[in-house]
Amino acid sequence: MSTAALTIAGAELSAILKHCRRELPNEACGILGGRDRKVESVHPVQNAHPSPSRFAMEPTAQFLAMDEVSRAGRELVGIYHSHPNGPAVLSSVDLQEACWPGTTSPNYPGAVQVIVSLQDCASPVVRGYAANRGMFIEVPIIIDEPKQVR
Amino acid sequence: MPVTVSIPTPLQRLSGGKVKVSCSATSIEGLLEALEMAHPGMKERLTVSGKVRPFINIYVNGEDIRTLGAEASVLKEGDTVAIIAAIAGGHG
Repeated sequence: MSTAALTIAGAELSAILKHCRRELPNEACGILGGRDRKVESVHPVQNAHPSPSRFAMEPTAQFLAMDEVSRAGRELVGIYHSHPNGPAVLSSVDLQEACWPGTTSPNYPGAVQVIVSLQDCASPVVRGYAANRGMFIEVPIIIDEPKQVR
Repeated sequence: MPVTVSIPTPLQRLSGGKVKVSCSATSIEGLLEALEMAHPGMKERLTVSGKVRPFINIYVNGEDIRTLGAEASVLKEGDTVAIIAAIAGGHG
């Protein structure tokens, strides 16, 4: 399961990309609800510290988004954020913040970390990483409706 | 005064795999002590110098304890407490 692909429909991916572009030049962030690694809902969350190179979800907005996912009978299948000026890879900061301090235990082991690179805003790159045996490895992202992505 | 507490995933090994536990406490400070008694190691991971660690957010019935009284926030029977790890990161 931990290395399984994340499936996302074109409409949901478009919602993520729209949010990430809207927040430029700063990083955008949000969570993804769904089941069995299939995204069913996108929940943009306010970046409490707007910056082109950092994000921190506003705590109450994060709680409400997670509560909304739970109340809908869904699971937290993904956490997304953008790298306006960087590649779609987990940075050292991302890796550090994704785990409980001083450990390699991911805070949200079931969630795929989705990174949206907007280095080329017209051609965003989206990649996903999942916790697996104490590290994060890239997992495929399957787009249901590739022709509707943009 | 039993309250229901949601345990963050990385600490569920301390709670015997339980996602939710029941504890008796009248304040968040007391709850942290009760959690430690029932699940040794919990308090150290949730607090530093008696204060909730900055990356931990605690909610009582959906209200952030920072708006209620922090560690002194009062609990009553039937309250639900959620302990949630903050989500942050960045390209750095």
